[in-house]
Amino acid sequence: MSSSLILRTEALDKSYPGVHALDHVDFDLYEGEVHVLLGENGAGKSTFMKIISGSLPKDSGRIFLRGQEVDIVSPQHARELGIGMVYQELSVIPGLSVGENIFLGRLPKRKPFGTVDWSEARSQAKRLLDDLGVDIDPGERVGNLGIGEQQLTEIAKTLSMKARVVLLDEPSSALSDEERERLFTIMRGLQEKGVAIIYVSHRLVEIPQVAQRVTVLRDGVKIGTLLVDEADEATLIRMMVGRELGEQYPKERIERGRELLRVQGLTVKGVLNGLNLSLHEGEILGIFGVLGAGRTDFARALFGVDPIDSGEVFLDGRKVEISSPSEAIDLGLGYVTEDRKDGLVPRLAIPANITLASLKKMTRLGFLKHDEERASAEKYVEELDIHTPRLSQMVEFLSGGNQQKVALAKWLCSQAKILILDEPTRGIDVGAKVEVFRLMNDLAKQGVGIIMISSELPEVLAMADRILVMADGSFVAEYEGGQASGEDLMRDAVAG
Amino acid sequence: MAEKPSGSSISGLGRVKTWVATPQLRVRLGIRATLVFAVVIFVYYVSTAPRFFSVVNVSNVGARTAPGIIVAVAQTMVIISAGIDLSVGAILAFSGSLVSVAYCYWGLPVWPAMLLGLAAGALLGFLNGLIITKGRIPDFIATLGMMGTARGVALILTGGLPVPSHLTAVTLKAYLPREVIWMGSGKLLGFPVGALIGLLVVAAGWVILTHTGFGRAIFAVGGNREAARVSGINVDRTKIMVYTLAGLLSGLAGLVLVGRMNSANALMADPANLESISAVVIGGTNLFGGEGGVIGSLLGALIMGILSNVLNLHNMQDFAQRVVMGLLIIGVVLFDQLRRRYGA
Ligand SMILES: Nc1ncnc2c1ncn2[C@@H]1O[C@H](COP(=O)(O)OP(=O)(O)OP(=O)(O)O)[C@@H](O)[C@H]1O
Ligand SMILES: [Mg+2]
Repeated sequence: MSSSLILRTEALDKSYPGVHALDHVDFDLYEGEVHVLLGENGAGKSTFMKIISGSLPKDSGRIFLRGQEVDIVSPQHARELGIGMVYQELSVIPGLSVGENIFLGRLPKRKPFGTVDWSEARSQAKRLLDDLGVDIDPGERVGNLGIGEQQLTEIAKTLSMKARVVLLDEPSSALSDEERERLFTIMRGLQEKGVAIIYVSHRLVEIPQVAQRVTVLRDGVKIGTLLVDEADEATLIRMMVGRELGEQYPKERIERGRELLRVQGLTVKGVLNGLNLSLHEGEILGIFGVLGAGRTDFARALFGVDPIDSGEVFLDGRKVEISSPSEAIDLGLGYVTEDRKDGLVPRLAIPANITLASLKKMTRLGFLKHDEERASAEKYVEELDIHTPRLSQMVEFLSGGNQQKVALAKWLCSQAKILILDEPTRGIDVGAKVEVFRLMNDLAKQGVGIIMISSELPEVLAMADRILVMADGSFVAEYEGGQASGEDLMRDAVAG
Repeated sequence: MAEKPSGSSISGLGRVKTWVATPQLRVRLGIRATLVFAVVIFVYYVSTAPRFFSVVNVSNVGARTAPGIIVAVAQTMVIISAGIDLSVGAILAFSGSLVSVAYCYWGLPVWPAMLLGLAAGALLGFLNGLIITKGRIPDFIATLGMMGTARGVALILTGGLPVPSHLTAVTLKAYLPREVIWMGSGKLLGFPVGALIGLLVVAAGWVILTHTGFGRAIFAVGGNREAARVSGINVDRTKIMVYTLAGLLSGLAGLVLVGRMNSANALMADPANLESISAVVIGGTNLFGGEGGVIGSLLGALIMGILSNVLNLHNMQDFAQRVVMGLLIIGVVLFDQLRRRYGA
């Protein structure tokens, strides 16, 4: 490496009650380098990044910036040192506009009274977003944006601070392929300016595209650092999980049963245009589309979260009205939300979250059946391999991927017959993905019908028995599993 | 803590040094020191208060604190559901006044009068919930409105006079019924009845919050409303039930208070809002919802009760006491925020 060392850690250590999240981690980062941090869910990646960005105090160890030991005491301090971070859990403020979010706390002022110069803020934000090549109106409320666009806003915010070290914690998990490409272009641009980037992602395919080196963490311990050229996927996976993984997409063909669900002419004005769909027992129906195609709107409308303008829904051939989630649940539907924050109660323990959608079953005469609750929580923690020091841990303190597993467990517990999974593998590691796919197989075998919304091409192609492509609020194409190629799907998704 | 022995562990003194060196840890240290200081002051005042430990005084504190405990339980549930009820004091006064007026003026028999008072409290709570959920009005505003309204109605009912009082006694029943007075001032096996009622309410609140589906829903709604909704919890119904329960308990507290004072007046329990919120926060319930419990609030209410009693015994005048209580709540919330932020 010809360029100079910018950041180095020595024996960085951090424990939470019951978890040694980082175990004496040595790490180095060079100017102009993209360094991928890899590891299973709960391996300590976010913890590492948060310590570097000053939002979490370390227990012991040293951090050197350009050879000087620094004691980073707050995110503010980190920014002054030229370290900026995009957090895994979005930290944008939904009620404010994109521009306000980007310049929060540093809005351009107008003399003489120091009032905010809104037009300047707007045009600066516009320029920044244009540089990123994203088409977002700086005046739009962030709450009205899709999660990918929120993520981009957050990235723009961090970049606007002119950091020399940029920490990106799973920025790509919520992005479409196109937006991801754009992010990579941006990263390359930064690299050329000598900016160093630490990048966390569970998408192994991205590594050769963006990075020069990879460091693998397992259970808080650094397993090793490799040059990307030496690091093939199999090696990395072995380092991450400590064993061979086998098939990444363990698809099993299952006999399609009778029709479970039929949707006719589902319409939400200006969002969804007369959608038709049917789902059978044991079937995995993939819905593919780019960000903003309306897939999440469809899930929400079907599940009764958002009201529909017209359309009919039949379950087992019987017409039903679903005007609230609780009705949907009573009818046997389940819905893993795209943003796990919308599906979890962070300050409740794991069991309480897992049984949240099954409260009726978990109570007798209004009283909670604690034993049963514990037992089923134990079962799912085991089955989904949720990493936690104890069962009663608050969900807030789980790593992102493990939170996602809790969100999934909730609907397994409610024994939904029809499961809507909106980006079910978002933010979970390769090993856990395989677990989730196995689980989908098992559910399908039990006759559950699954609607899998995903922007991950390989996963849709491998796992779905049938694929619907969505664009601009309409289903524009339908394929039997195995009949379509990735190019077909992409073409339909962007043509629509 | 998973503290495992390792070669590079630093010496004891070094550890203390790093512990004190970073700002976060300095704040942590400060927080702990403040806590110890507060406890020392508290213990000092209590132990030097004349006659604090007399049987009469202890039982007196129990009886006096009872309405505060009951209201604190109500407030705890509301706050866990991410709401706030500024009308507990007013509903308390309204219900207490209604019972007295119904018995003394309207000649209602004692049990119907008491039932009427409780039902009216529950009804006002229900209205709070309805306005908040269906009218989409912030909890703060809705209950603030209710606070004014309930006090106003109580004033109209009582004509602004204590009921009963020697002024009105000539034409009316001069005393409250035995049953009501027993609730506020009676003894059962040597314990003040009011305090026993308070403890029963705490127990009921604990059972509801930790052992029922309704309690779980309260936490879920307060912790993440959207997630609760997507998980099939009826958010509006949960909130309405919480406010109704709060109204009912405020009414019950009104009965106990009237029983202790032997008379009702529309302006009684004027600091109840402040006190109940303080008790809840001192008790460790998160002011922003989703976390907490009634046991903490019981302790909070007791601390407030003891403090007020001790200040009385030390002859601090009532006006100054209010200042102390007001500062106390700000201090506690500030303290709580710092503690959360720095994870001490
Ligand atoms: N505030 C906390 N309190 C207790 N334990 C925590 C806390 N934050 C993280 N942990 C634990 O520390 C470990 C490392 O978590 P971290 O978030 O760094 O994982 P990660 O590698 O980023 O995982 P993911 O890929 O799922 O995001 C996990 O076991 C997690 O449960
Ligand atoms: Mg993480």
